[in-house]
Amino acid sequence: MLTIGKLASLTDVSNDTLRYYEHEGLLEPAAKSPAGYRLYDAASTRRIRFIKQAQQCGFTLSEIRDLLVLRSRDATCCGDVRKRAIEKKLQIESKIRAMKAMSRALDQLIADCANEKQPVKECTIIAALERANGARRAQRP
Amino acid sequence: MKVELFYSPGCPECAAAQARLRSAAEEAVRDLEWREVSAVEQIDRAVDLGVLTLPSIVIDGELVFTSMPSLKDLRVALRERAGRK
Repeated sequence: MLTIGKLASLTDVSNDTLRYYEHEGLLEPAAKSPAGYRLYDAASTRRIRFIKQAQQCGFTLSEIRDLLVLRSRDATCCGDVRKRAIEKKLQIESKIRAMKAMSRALDQLIADCANEKQPVKECTIIAALERANGARRAQRP
Repeated sequence: MKVELFYSPGCPECAAAQARLRSAAEEAVRDLEWREVSAVEQIDRAVDLGVLTLPSIVIDGELVFTSMPSLKDLRVALRERAGRK
């Protein structure tokens, strides 16, 4: 059995993160010591590596909890997990598009600001952002 | 009317449900163009249409259902749109 500190060092996460995982229902100690300290088994190490890998693929902790439930169910087939992976890819691709649009908008603002020595009151970037803010306010009923 | 059902390939339950949805759609409207689209093969089109969850149903280019609808809900949505034309 592993203490929380040992598990944290084996998996390269902090003790606080492990407690947070427990709070979020992602991890449970296998037992408690007579003094009341959390004790973890080898499966906990695998579980934390799974959580970290899934986070790197963009899954939220709530989605990872669902994946862990799927992983433990006998009736789950690979298609169930694949569906979630495809949905995550759709969400990531959609975010990439939104970020690219933001990047293009910034390109335009940067290009419009030809004179970087102008005083801030004449800054075209700030003026454009203020105009956008004003336009949004005007659209409100 | 063009109906595109975006699905995750390899889901046996979805395949059975898709067949039922198609029959319901065929009953509901006459000029039906039914397409079953793999979200893996057509990810760009799926993202264009705002599909983020599977299955999703797009009717005439509009994302209408973001999960599997009941047969009744699909019929209602199709008839409403057919009535507008």
